[in-house]
Amino acid sequence: MRAAPTLAEGFPDLSQMQIAREIHWRRWLAAAAIIVVLVAIGRAFAAGQIEWSYVSRFLTAKVILQGIVNTMVMAVLAMALGIVLGVVVAIMRLSPNPVLKSVAAGYTWLFRGTPLILQLLLWFNLALVFPTIGIPGLWTARAVDVMTPFLAALLGLGINQGAYTSEVMRAGMLSVDAGQYEAAQAIGMGRLRALRRIILPQAMRVVIPPLGNEFIGMVKATSLASVIQYPEVLHNAENIYYANSRVIELLIVAGCWYLLVVSILTPLQMLLERRFARGTARINR
Amino acid sequence: MTRLSLFLGVAAFAATASAQAAELPAEIKQAGTLKLTVNSTYAPMEYRDPATSELVGLDIDLANELARRLSVKIVWSETPFAELIPSLQTKRADFIISGISDRASRRETADFIDYLTTGPQFFVLNEHEAKAAADLCGKKVGTTRSTSFPVEIEKWSKQNCEAAGKPAIQYVPGENSIDVRNQLKQGRIDAAVQGSETLPYAQGQEPGKYRVVGEPFAIGYQGIMFRKDDAVLREVVTEHLAAMIADGSYKKILDKFGLGANAVARPMMNAAPQ
Amino acid sequence: MTKPLVAIRSVSKAFGEFQALKNVSLDVWPGEVLCLIGASGSGKTTLLRCINQLTEIDSGGIWLDGELLGVREEGGKLRRLTERQIARQRLRTGMVFQRFNLFPHKTALENITEGPAQVQGRNSDEVRAEAIELLRRVGLATKAESYPSQLSGGQQQRVAIARALAMKPMLMLFDEPTSALDPELVGEVLAVMKELAQSGMTMVVVTHELGFAREVADRVVYMDHGAIVESGRAAEVLGAPREARTQAFLAAVI
Repeated sequence: MRAAPTLAEGFPDLSQMQIAREIHWRRWLAAAAIIVVLVAIGRAFAAGQIEWSYVSRFLTAKVILQGIVNTMVMAVLAMALGIVLGVVVAIMRLSPNPVLKSVAAGYTWLFRGTPLILQLLLWFNLALVFPTIGIPGLWTARAVDVMTPFLAALLGLGINQGAYTSEVMRAGMLSVDAGQYEAAQAIGMGRLRALRRIILPQAMRVVIPPLGNEFIGMVKATSLASVIQYPEVLHNAENIYYANSRVIELLIVAGCWYLLVVSILTPLQMLLERRFARGTARINR
Repeated sequence: MTRLSLFLGVAAFAATASAQAAELPAEIKQAGTLKLTVNSTYAPMEYRDPATSELVGLDIDLANELARRLSVKIVWSETPFAELIPSLQTKRADFIISGISDRASRRETADFIDYLTTGPQFFVLNEHEAKAAADLCGKKVGTTRSTSFPVEIEKWSKQNCEAAGKPAIQYVPGENSIDVRNQLKQGRIDAAVQGSETLPYAQGQEPGKYRVVGEPFAIGYQGIMFRKDDAVLREVVTEHLAAMIADGSYKKILDKFGLGANAVARPMMNAAPQ
Repeated sequence: MTKPLVAIRSVSKAFGEFQALKNVSLDVWPGEVLCLIGASGSGKTTLLRCINQLTEIDSGGIWLDGELLGVREEGGKLRRLTERQIARQRLRTGMVFQRFNLFPHKTALENITEGPAQVQGRNSDEVRAEAIELLRRVGLATKAESYPSQLSGGQQQRVAIARALAMKPMLMLFDEPTSALDPELVGEVLAVMKELAQSGMTMVVVTHELGFAREVADRVVYMDHGAIVESGRAAEVLGAPREARTQAFLAAVI
């Protein structure tokens, strides 16, 4: 049996002493200062030239509620379109076929390179370029009858979103271990089947958190569709203040609704993140 | 001459003299500038000349002439139509002369000095079949949504379409007069409504493209908009405007833009019927 | 005379500047277990991956069961096969990877049934029954519903072997199947591979496990710098190598 090694002198045993709690007095001071500022701002707004009665009156007005419903409908549909396009374009971008690759790169360049509001205006005014659209012999229609504000907003928002989503999807697919694709090939899968059954399901887990974030952005991007007469909440709020000149009050009404929606979506997105980002199946090593 | 009548005569003379000596408010006089803001998408009232990109228009010319007589300079700025009234309220502008209609709903915090007759006017593409305003019942009619015209159209439709058993006019919103004309050209709407003061210009720009249908269907006035508490400035401007009408310079400016027919005999305050 | 199952003739492969395979020729006979040994960079893994076309060769030819892989001869030139045709050729080989590469979003059973059900379009009940039998064969009958993250390394690799076998290949390729395993888990995988060899499967195994090679391999091939240095019966190459380089390698490894 070996004796424990003897230790040098001069180093006391501190194991019985507790670490005292710190009072971060600077932090408390800063917090107090911030609260004072916030209270002052709040009071200034309350005393300012805002007729709060208009805010409360219109907060649940029928056209406003209809507007927020239209906002959400468009956000969901445009995001769905954006995701579908994003997946397709990302697959094209990662294809060995140079034609597909260039088309995908071109699409991303074009729709990320121009402002969203410009794209919305172009879609809405498409009839200036193509008065009629259709398949010759089969079906024709006037472009203005087809390109309603709803469709123009959907196409503008969705196709624009697709360009951004495709980059997210591409990153997601590249993040899947290369060995997964090889294993899929080894059991005889072709590229598309491997993508569909093996790569994309795994990429989704990486991609869903940033897409949740994009969706929150989309909810607010729908406000741009107000200029092409899509009756979302900002458009409807504007119509009210065009009639009664209560600009700030109605903008506050619209702002409250956006805040409410985003406040609900943000914790949902965090939940999504926690569920999908890490912690799911990782190969043991 | 009795002492009373002499006294009255002197008093009257003094009153007119002091009236004519109406001064600009102190800050404007001191600064030597008038801050004015316009929504420059409204030819021929205020717009950017497509060739030179300069700010031009009937309102611009009127304001410049007024400023000359007041010995001040103008600092121009531009804003969307819906921001005109807030600009006045926040004192970003001293007064508004920007093709804005005198309306009761706007008189809560402002007064209008009316200087031009106007009224909403139907117009269509030349090849459209509508001949009379009644032909527009049940059709799609568009106008700028931030103006008072949507309400006017609805009123007119109730009185002239629905009352006659015809289908109501379908109102289609547009962002501004250019957007509305675009929609007309694309066939999104059958007819459009604009202030009658804008149509000669539009027709001049694209000859033969548009055709006016019927008469302006409501009488109104364009007004110079002042804050309610700004009586001094309002009086000064009214005075000089009256002088411009009297000496013909007002008519000259109107004729330059083909709107001689829209002249008023004298400036009126808050005179629009509704 | 029987034909070799795999015939490799004058195959070369470069990755940029680096010449991974230099004019390599080799036969693999039906039912034999062939071990490829050598240092990293010797080309053994590259050669293995060329057999199931995960790596494309630059020149030369590989025949599997008499069929030329990856290209066809046409008018004196070689034309590449389509991706679909290549995928079909891969159906005849099964591969087991160093890092298992199980599909993490599928259970062990689903990993095994994926190929036969999706790629070969076989009846799902049959496929399921066969998969359970394969799991039993590799000793994991109770783990059918487990996800890869719930399995140890050795268990995952055995599922990976079952997955490859589910496609009923005529040739099994093993790329350092035990290199990523903790030492105590190596044995269970080698046991499965031994059973597979004894059942008559043709196997090409890239490995550092010389004990396994000595015990199970019919032939051992030692590669160095992209070329085959020595090849022969396992006992000979491992016990009494002729080439100096082989001797040096074995001395360093043992």
